[in-house]
Amino acid sequence: MTKHMLFATAIAVGVATMATTGARADLLDDIMAAKKIRIATDLAIPPSGMMDGSMKPTGSDVETAQLLAKDWGLELEFIQTTGATRIPNVQTNKADIIISTLSVTPERAKVIDFSKPYAALQSVVGCLKAVQVKDWPDLKGKTIAVSRGTTQDTALTNMKDRELTLARFDDDATMVTAAVSGQADCMATSATIVNQVGVKNPARPFEPKVLITTFDLAIGIRKGEPRLVEKLNEWVSANLKNGKLNEIYKKFHGSELPAAMLQ
Amino acid sequence: MGGSLNANHLLFLGHGALWTIGLSLIAFAGGGIAAFIIALCRISPNRAVRIVTAGYVQLIQGTPLLVIMFLSYFGLSAIGFSISPLAAAGASLTVYVSAYLGEIWRGCIQAVPKPQWEAAEGLALTKAERMTKVILPQAIRIATPPTVGFMVQIIKNTSLASVVGFVELARAGQIINNSLFEPFLTYSVIAVIYFALCYPISRLSRRLERRSGLPRIKPVTA
Repeated sequence: MTKHMLFATAIAVGVATMATTGARADLLDDIMAAKKIRIATDLAIPPSGMMDGSMKPTGSDVETAQLLAKDWGLELEFIQTTGATRIPNVQTNKADIIISTLSVTPERAKVIDFSKPYAALQSVVGCLKAVQVKDWPDLKGKTIAVSRGTTQDTALTNMKDRELTLARFDDDATMVTAAVSGQADCMATSATIVNQVGVKNPARPFEPKVLITTFDLAIGIRKGEPRLVEKLNEWVSANLKNGKLNEIYKKFHGSELPAAMLQ
Repeated sequence: MGGSLNANHLLFLGHGALWTIGLSLIAFAGGGIAAFIIALCRISPNRAVRIVTAGYVQLIQGTPLLVIMFLSYFGLSAIGFSISPLAAAGASLTVYVSAYLGEIWRGCIQAVPKPQWEAAEGLALTKAERMTKVILPQAIRIATPPTVGFMVQIIKNTSLASVVGFVELARAGQIINNSLFEPFLTYSVIAVIYFALCYPISRLSRRLERRSGLPRIKPVTA
C-alpha cells in the first residue's frame, strides 16, 4: 500500500508469468518439514501491521500470523515487505504466505490464490465532523486525501463522473498529518484511520461519512498449492467460529467483523 | 498507534542507519572498482571495447535504480536463481555506481590537458607509466569533488533497498512514523542522521582537495 504500486504490479505480472513455469515440491510439506512459516507482513500499515513502543511487531495482522503459527506449532518468521512487494514475495518463494491487509481483487486473483477471508476492511470517505457531507454529490469540489496506490485510490480514481479531487500521499501517516494540519478536510481510507485524526488533533475530529466499499482481506498464497490453501481455509473457518479472529480485529480496529463472516 | 518517540525507536533507527552505512560501503567498494575498469574501457584504443562499455553505461544510466533492485531480487528468483536481499541490493548498487562513477572518472581522465599526455609520451613512458605517473594523479584531483558529490547521493539512494525487504534508515523511519503518526518529528530525526552521515564526507573532500599536495592544473596554451 505504498508508492511504486503501479510499477510493482507490472513487474509482478511479469514475474508471475515466469514463475508459473516449472514444478515445485508441495509448499505445505516444506513448511512442516522446516517447522517454520515465513509470513510477509508490512509493518508500516497501522493498525494491521506496526511497531509498539518497544519496537516489537504488533497489529491485527501480526496477531493473526502469531495465532496461525502457534496453532500449527511452527516458528514464525516475519518477512519485511512493503505493500507493493507483498505479492512478488510469495511468487518468488521469499515468503510462504501473505498476511498483510491483502484485499481480494480479481486482478490479484489472476496471479495468486486467496484463502477464505479472515477479516474485512471498511473503506470510507471521512471528513471533518463539521463538514456537511451525506453522499457522493456533497464531495464535489472538496479535496480528498488518499494513500497512493491503495484500493481506495483505485476506487476513487475510477469514479470519473463524480468529479472528485484527489490529493495523493505516500502512506497513511502522511495522509493523517495532512488531515491533522488542515491540508485536507476529507480523506479516503479505512474507518479506523479516520477516527485516528481526532486523537492526534482534538480540534479537528473526523468521522466516516460515505462508505466506499467493504473489502475482504484474505491470506495470499502463490498459485498451485491446493493443500496449503485448504489447510488455511480450515484454520480461518475454525478461528472465525471460535471468535479468536473477531477478538483480534476488535482489539485493533475497534469494531466487530461483519456478522456474515462469523458463521 | 500513537505513543511518543522513545529510546527503542532511536535504537531501531540506529540499526537502520547501520544498514545504510553497510550498503553504502558495499556500493563504494564494489562500484569503485567496477567504475575504474569502466573508465579505462571507455577510453580504450580498441573501438569495440569502447562501444560495448558505452552501451553498458547508457543502459544502466537509463534505468532507475529501483528497477535494477527489483529485477535482481525478484526477477532472478523467478528464473531460478536464489539471491539474498543483501546480495541483490549490493549487486544492484555496484552496477549502478559503476555506470555513473565510471563516466565521471572517464571525464576526469580526459580533462587532463592534452599537452600532459603528449609530454608523457614524449618522455618515452610506457602506456602504464603514462597513466599511473602522469595522468591519474592529476585526474584524481579533478575527480574528487564530483566523486564525493556522487557518494553523498549514493548514501541517500540506499533507501531504495527497502524494496527488497531491507529495513535501512528511511524504511525504519517509515515504520516508526506509521506507528507514531508523528511525521515531522520522525523525519526530522532521520534527516539529522542522514546529514550526520553525509556532512563529514563533504568536509573530508574539501580537505583532500586542499591537502592533496598535487599541483593545480593550469591551462596550457599551445
